[in-house]
Amino acid sequence: MAQFNIAHLYPDLMNLYGDRGNLICLKKRLAWRGHECRIQSVGLGQAIDFDNMDMVFMGGGSDREQGLVYEDLITRAEAFFDAIEAGLPVLCICGAYQLLGESYIAADGQKLQGLGFFDFITRGSEPRLIGNILLETQLNGRNTTVVGFENHGGRTYLDDPRLEAFGRVVKGYGNNGQDGSEGLKYHNLIGTYLHGPLLPKNPVVADFYISAMAERRGLTATITPLYDSIENFAHQQVKYKILTS
Amino acid sequence: MLRTILAIIAAKIIIKLSRRFGNQGTVMAGRVARRLDPGILRKLAGRVEKQIIIITGTNGKTTTSNMIAQILNADGHKIVHNRAGANMLNGITTAFIGATNLTGSRSWDYALLETDEANVAPLLKEVDAGVLLVTNFFRDQLDRYGELDYTIGLIKEGVKGRRLRLWLNADDPLMSSFPQDTGLPCSYYGFDETPYDTLENHNSREGRYCMLCGEEIEYLRFHFAQLGVFRCPKCGNQNPEPDFVATDLQLDQGIAMKVNEIPIKSPYQGFYNAYNLLAAVALTRGLGVRDAVIQEALARFQPQAGRMERFSVGEREATLILVKNPTGFNQSLQALLQDGRSKNLFLALNDNAADGRDISWIWDADLEVLAEPGAGITILVCSGLRSGDMAVRAKYAGVDSGVIEIESDLEAGIKKTLGGTGQVGYILSTYTALFQCRKILLGMQSEPSVKAEPRRAYQKS
Ligand SMILES: [Zn+2]
Repeated sequence: MAQFNIAHLYPDLMNLYGDRGNLICLKKRLAWRGHECRIQSVGLGQAIDFDNMDMVFMGGGSDREQGLVYEDLITRAEAFFDAIEAGLPVLCICGAYQLLGESYIAADGQKLQGLGFFDFITRGSEPRLIGNILLETQLNGRNTTVVGFENHGGRTYLDDPRLEAFGRVVKGYGNNGQDGSEGLKYHNLIGTYLHGPLLPKNPVVADFYISAMAERRGLTATITPLYDSIENFAHQQVKYKILTS
Repeated sequence: MLRTILAIIAAKIIIKLSRRFGNQGTVMAGRVARRLDPGILRKLAGRVEKQIIIITGTNGKTTTSNMIAQILNADGHKIVHNRAGANMLNGITTAFIGATNLTGSRSWDYALLETDEANVAPLLKEVDAGVLLVTNFFRDQLDRYGELDYTIGLIKEGVKGRRLRLWLNADDPLMSSFPQDTGLPCSYYGFDETPYDTLENHNSREGRYCMLCGEEIEYLRFHFAQLGVFRCPKCGNQNPEPDFVATDLQLDQGIAMKVNEIPIKSPYQGFYNAYNLLAAVALTRGLGVRDAVIQEALARFQPQAGRMERFSVGEREATLILVKNPTGFNQSLQALLQDGRSKNLFLALNDNAADGRDISWIWDADLEVLAEPGAGITILVCSGLRSGDMAVRAKYAGVDSGVIEIESDLEAGIKKTLGGTGQVGYILSTYTALFQCRKILLGMQSEPSVKAEPRRAYQKS
């Protein structure tokens, strides 16, 4: 039994639509396997030691809030990116995902600077891309589907050859509604537009994070399987709804 | 003229037919009428002689407008009033057609139009409203329009340059910038200190940032959710001075309080309904209704469908509650936990347009209270189009998986629930499943086979 530390970045600012469901999910799935999980909230100006973290989570926010977060996060960008390069598990949703790129260009031409970790930009545009979404992806060597809900005005274009998408869109919009890609994946970082409770309904994604955390701690590479019948029912219910709509 | 009459006749036929088949949705009548005569709403709204009142906001608009309707009726006025759930342009058109005669020449004193936040601007283009009342801005169904700031911006843009008086919540930090941003006359209503205030906010994060300068707002106290006494440390933005202030709040049995020294009593429950009462009192006082009329109308006014409505099925009591956002969900769960009896619980989650297509909000509600010792949940049936999501939420809230059942069909789900071993049933449902749940409960209530036979009380006496 181990204690895992997850940093929740800017929970007051970047927290739209039930993002906290992801943390509730990780905590429970660790607990069911006999591990403890401490969630540390990190607000503007508060210290964070990325080396002592097992995982980092950041959710979505509105434009104004995203600006405040950028100002704060840019001062720690280097340490954050080094940790990502070293395999730190990170989940960034919506606004947090957009922040990883070069910039966000609003529909009126106004430019919001990003952290510049990767070569991609996001363009704000109408209409917002809203609805249930179904992806196919590979995690831990397994093909799997991912279901969720997206609601974003931004169109993200991945131009960086190092980057792979988080998944391929089966139904829905994804990064930009055109190229069939959704989100990005880099080492153990996932950026995605699938907001709210992404992990609870996609236990394979939740366990991708848990095995990545365990592996970095030198714990057994195979994690105990859980009895996921309720989660799988919910996954299938949405999947069926999306495929038949 | 002929076109108008045709549109009215066609719509009235549709209204009559849909009533015969027990259909609650009369939106179609308005849609057809607007197609036959695009100017119909403008024409009929022109027949309102005193004032058109628009009521919007996230929570409580239905209850508040029902309270206002009750008061205006008691004051002897003729009013047009749209039905809950039919609050976009088509539904509002239907309401006018239902209330007018075949030639469209009937007139009214007041129109009371409850509408969705995003529909305020389009509605103002067709009706010449004199009053807009906003209840509050909570996160709710935002997936349809984007974020809260955007929704508020739509309203501000929509009202600019019109001859309107705004009635606003002084305790909601998202409303303090309305006078500057709109240039319109604004009246505020708000609460004084109450014994139910807290120094800490439990769940709602909305409105923590100043609308004027973006700084984080400081709260001296919370009345309810993000409504409270606030101040911006940077620009000094704070609660506007309320024109109507509520004091002496008591929530023990129903609601009792004073609004500008007038004693108000109501059989409603909960702080959120105290806000609805306050808004209704403030607005009707503003219209010049006498105190005694307001007091009497509110004291008689009973909660209606889905707002803690009670049924008795056999010997068991079942309470039907509408939930539509985290704040409302938390309120319902609190009310349920105050009941010390063991409970059979039913949670129906739909994701139709009127429910909000995005069900992520269930993760912002604190279902964790259901797993507390003493919650007394004997069975938890998850139902509706998104029964799976509801069940996952309950499981991760810590409810024992053995207690959770998934039954997507509403009728089978309610039967399973009320067949549980708990002493009492609670049926919680999102909007589009509510009328069906109600119908199922009414049916079970009248089924003789379910009724327990020998009544002990009867034999004793
Ligand atoms: Zn300020």
